[in-house]
Amino acid sequence: MFKPYILENMEFDKDSLYKLGKLSKIQIDESKLKSLSSDLGSIVEFIDRLKSIDTENVDPTSNSLDQSLVMRDDIASDVNTPNEILENAPQKELDFFSVPKVIE
Amino acid sequence: MISGWELVIGIEIHAQVKSKSKLFSSSSTEFGSGPNSQVSLVDAAMPGMLPVINKFCVEQAVRSGIGLNAQINKKSIFDRKNYFYQDLPQGYQISQFKYPIVGNGFIEIESDGQSKKVGIERLHLEQDAGKSLHDQDPNLTFVDLNRSGIALMEIVSMPDMTSPEEAVEYVKKVRSILRYLDTCDGNMEQGSLRADVNVSVNKPGDSLGTRCEIKNLNSFKYIHSAIIYEAKRQIKLIESGENIIQETRLYNIDSGETRSMRSKEDAHDYRYFPDPDLLPLILEDDWIKKVRSSIPELPDQKKERFIREYGLSKYDSSVIVSDKSTSDYYEKVVKDRNPKLVTTWVTSELFSVLNKKNLSIDESPISPNHLGELIDNIDSGKISSRQAKDIFEEMCETGKSANNIINEKELSQISDEGELEKLVDNVISLNPENVEKYKNGKDKLFGFFVGEAMKLSKGKANPKVLNDLLKSKLNT
Repeated sequence: MFKPYILENMEFDKDSLYKLGKLSKIQIDESKLKSLSSDLGSIVEFIDRLKSIDTENVDPTSNSLDQSLVMRDDIASDVNTPNEILENAPQKELDFFSVPKVIE
Repeated sequence: MISGWELVIGIEIHAQVKSKSKLFSSSSTEFGSGPNSQVSLVDAAMPGMLPVINKFCVEQAVRSGIGLNAQINKKSIFDRKNYFYQDLPQGYQISQFKYPIVGNGFIEIESDGQSKKVGIERLHLEQDAGKSLHDQDPNLTFVDLNRSGIALMEIVSMPDMTSPEEAVEYVKKVRSILRYLDTCDGNMEQGSLRADVNVSVNKPGDSLGTRCEIKNLNSFKYIHSAIIYEAKRQIKLIESGENIIQETRLYNIDSGETRSMRSKEDAHDYRYFPDPDLLPLILEDDWIKKVRSSIPELPDQKKERFIREYGLSKYDSSVIVSDKSTSDYYEKVVKDRNPKLVTTWVTSELFSVLNKKNLSIDESPISPNHLGELIDNIDSGKISSRQAKDIFEEMCETGKSANNIINEKELSQISDEGELEKLVDNVISLNPENVEKYKNGKDKLFGFFVGEAMKLSKGKANPKVLNDLLKSKLNT
């Protein structure tokens, strides 16, 4: 029986928020900090409800379909020219994608 | 290595599966094609493209797992490893995290003349990334996606190695096993097999130190020197009271130093999760059994067999079996021949020529048949070992067979007693004075007679028969 879930006001801490922003390549505006933190907090809290389910005797499930992976034979057949592959590239040089210099 | 300190080394090997097409797409894997010419829409991560797994790659991972004496997992799962980089168009690498296709195993390596077990933690399948070229333009990095999506087997060892030598032995042994299984070509120069090495140091009795990972070492020499450099760097830091920071480092092949790879600092949070595009990979018992029965003889078994069948020393046997092509070559030559002679010719003469010319055994200027023919001529006494060496050199230069050279130069050894007796009589009658001196006790002159007779025979006299004849004639 589905129970309506009431969101409490759980906060997502500031450091985690910045880290998430950095990993997602999203700049987080200081003024949005408060609202983002409470939005994300409630999402996490909602999903955390799953923890209340007893999974003691359930195998880890990565996919809800009860099937195995379909496999293909090892035949090299895809032929795409560099032109096609690079067609939508914002920037290209010779037959390469090009991006601002990445310094290792 | 450095007195007062212990080293702990663990290694991750990335071995490219020897497949024709990529792990999740049908693009070709051929090496050396023009940039971005082997990239499918899947590899370029165009929207809506779905991965379909290559059955052959799955089989090669299982074969490799069996070769590493490892547990084959009947259920494994593909995960997304998320990170942002210009040569990873998907924004994630499809890999296996919690449930790899192959679990615990071990291999045996030689360390200080003794056998040592090195544990294998796991082997999993994953996609390779594209290639970035930083040196083509002052302001730009170029990206070639040909390598993107090629199947790799990542083989993770336990931290069981304690010296750079053991680390090299380990990588050599894994490479050898994969080459025997033909699951990876093991070509380190082309990057088909590369190693990430984890190194830490500690004082004996202390707990383990903090480790650093040195990425992408593609030769045995670099593995060895990178470990030495890294261990010394860590010891110096600890001795001066500083802490080791766990980090990824790069080895500079020109300076022999390692340096921090700061760009990966934030990359450690990969946020793995099961790839929703891929179902669990389930293997059937019967299929695994079938794969198991297709496993060829592996280096350790072959080494034992060569010792048993051909009477090789432990050392010679390990040298010959360490490379599959070498052992195939050896076995072709040794068939129905004198193993001792074959071993000497392969391990000394042939190896030295290959070394000198920097050739692999597959590129040997002398085929197994030709070497066999030469050895037959030595074994039957038709030519002396001395002559054989000259013929061998000429074979290398010209590619001619031993029989051809022997016939052309009329080189065959004279072993016929009647013919040699005439020669000996001739030498004796031409040198009456020396014969007199010899008979009066000047033993050293014996060499002179041998030399004269050899000269007369144009070097073709069988030395043993000649010696015996001269001795009996001169001593009467």
